[in-house]
Amino acid sequence: MQQTMRSEAAIRGCRLVRSARSTLRAFVRASFVVACLSSITVGGARAHPHVWVTMKGELVYAADGLVTGVRHAWTFDDMYSAFATQGLAHTKKDAFTRAELAALAEVNVASLKEYGYFTSAKANGKKRPFGEPIDYWLDYADSQLTLHFTLPFKTPVAARDLAMEIYDPTWFVEFSFAEKNPVALVDAPAGCQLKIQRPTGLSAAQGQQLGEDFFNSLTATSNWAAQFANKVLVQCP
Amino acid sequence: MPMTVMSNATSRRARNMAFTATAGLLVALLCEAALAQGPFGTGAGTASAPPAALGGVVGWLLAKQAIYYREFTGLIRAAKADGSAVYGLLGLSFTYGIFHAAGPGHGKAVIASYLVANGETWRRGVALSFASALVQALAAVAIVGIAAVLLGGTAKMMGDAVRVIEIASYLLVIALGIRLTWIKVRSFRAALRMVKQRPAAIDHAHAHPQDHRHAHVARSEAHHHHHGAPDGHAACATCGHAHGPEPRDLTGPGGWRRGMSAIFAAGLRPCSGAILVLVFAFAQGLFWTGVASTLAMGLGTAITVAALATLAVGARSAAARLANRKQGFGLLALRGLEAGAALAVIAVGLLLLTGYMASERMFGV
Repeated sequence: MQQTMRSEAAIRGCRLVRSARSTLRAFVRASFVVACLSSITVGGARAHPHVWVTMKGELVYAADGLVTGVRHAWTFDDMYSAFATQGLAHTKKDAFTRAELAALAEVNVASLKEYGYFTSAKANGKKRPFGEPIDYWLDYADSQLTLHFTLPFKTPVAARDLAMEIYDPTWFVEFSFAEKNPVALVDAPAGCQLKIQRPTGLSAAQGQQLGEDFFNSLTATSNWAAQFANKVLVQCP
Repeated sequence: MPMTVMSNATSRRARNMAFTATAGLLVALLCEAALAQGPFGTGAGTASAPPAALGGVVGWLLAKQAIYYREFTGLIRAAKADGSAVYGLLGLSFTYGIFHAAGPGHGKAVIASYLVANGETWRRGVALSFASALVQALAAVAIVGIAAVLLGGTAKMMGDAVRVIEIASYLLVIALGIRLTWIKVRSFRAALRMVKQRPAAIDHAHAHPQDHRHAHVARSEAHHHHHGAPDGHAACATCGHAHGPEPRDLTGPGGWRRGMSAIFAAGLRPCSGAILVLVFAFAQGLFWTGVASTLAMGLGTAITVAALATLAVGARSAAARLANRKQGFGLLALRGLEAGAALAVIAVGLLLLTGYMASERMFGV
């Protein structure tokens, strides 16, 4: 009786070890499954864009040839425009004056600060910070809002190579350049060359048109969102 | 002997599934935490965690959503001119709901964790999914209906309303998680004690017929019931103590009241897409079309959430089957899974809440 119990205990002990081993094996295998699953889940946790912005911009140069900042004109899609203008007092049907939209423009610009105005710039490979936006207002035309604002560099920038990127890292807002003449240079020194790169995810062909070496400096600093980035590149002599 | 081999393989599978379910849930919860109030300060919506790359199935899913979403405006405008375009709009809303529910939103995470922690049935899981999706659709309709349609409020007003509801739902998630954890951690510790007292438990188990043993390791309410009858066995003094019976209010039929907390925790926060669609429809003078579209979206969402709920319930019952086979460790693993899922509910609630607070502080709206 005693003997039987002891050998039963021994068998049980062996089973325990086996069970621990199989647990480990199962865990290793499960880890693979989890790795796959989590990559899907992480991906699944992404939002599609809810707001679309069509951009036009101007790079403004001072008389001494320094870049002072960028003038943005962002046109929102009609769904977001309807949402943003909901309940705003206006006198004329289906129209809003600049004054009627002034408070909204104020809120927009104030809120964009947290997101760095979705704009970043590098001069000769070095990141250059922007200051607070000036001269901002909203226009309303064809059921679409357009936010105008000027983003000045903290200090005017001397740049042989200027690279600016506009995108939302969270992809809640999808930015794209306007079809025609999306970016202009204002009072730029003679001989400056402007190039535009649209998001590669949308239009890879346009990105490839540009020289490889021209982008080498960019690829070093580009991150995951580079494919959404709208890039402005200016080379001056 | 072949029987043993088979049951080993089955239990390995079960264990695989259990691990996968827990880890998958945790990852899902952590990834759904990033929140923002909308970059233009009008309170529209939630931004997600930044993707590492865009491509493959996920990229395709997102591209589809984006395309569907962009079709809303066109179809709503078409519905204004031609009533029959409404059917197209409803179809689109339904499809968009299915796709969109694969995206961010804490609802699925809360529902799935709740199901795993609570050991709910598939039927209840599906019912909870549909109910929470309905609540979510109705929340969007209520916000736009009251704030915009009745009161003529602005986007900021709707954003503020969403924020209040958000806090309420996140607090609800945390409360739900704390309640579940309280119960499940106790069960886990009880199972741990049982494993430590293994020799006694084994002897006890072997001294009894098969069905008796199963009563000890299966659903604890069955166990509890069993112990309600006088047993008189010496080992059962420890068992009864160690098993830590779950409170009655967490199991059995007619538990709709406790299901409500999960339904509201998961569904209270409306989806920003639905709000935008509703406001746009209202701006076109088609509020009720917008409402129908939102409900169709909710139906699509419910289907995706129900599919996830099915996975969660499947993983949980596989783990329960494993617990039936492997005495002490099986029960321990099951209780650990439940406690982990319950803790995950708290984690998601806290992350959501702190994410909210961060964006609130920055916005100052």
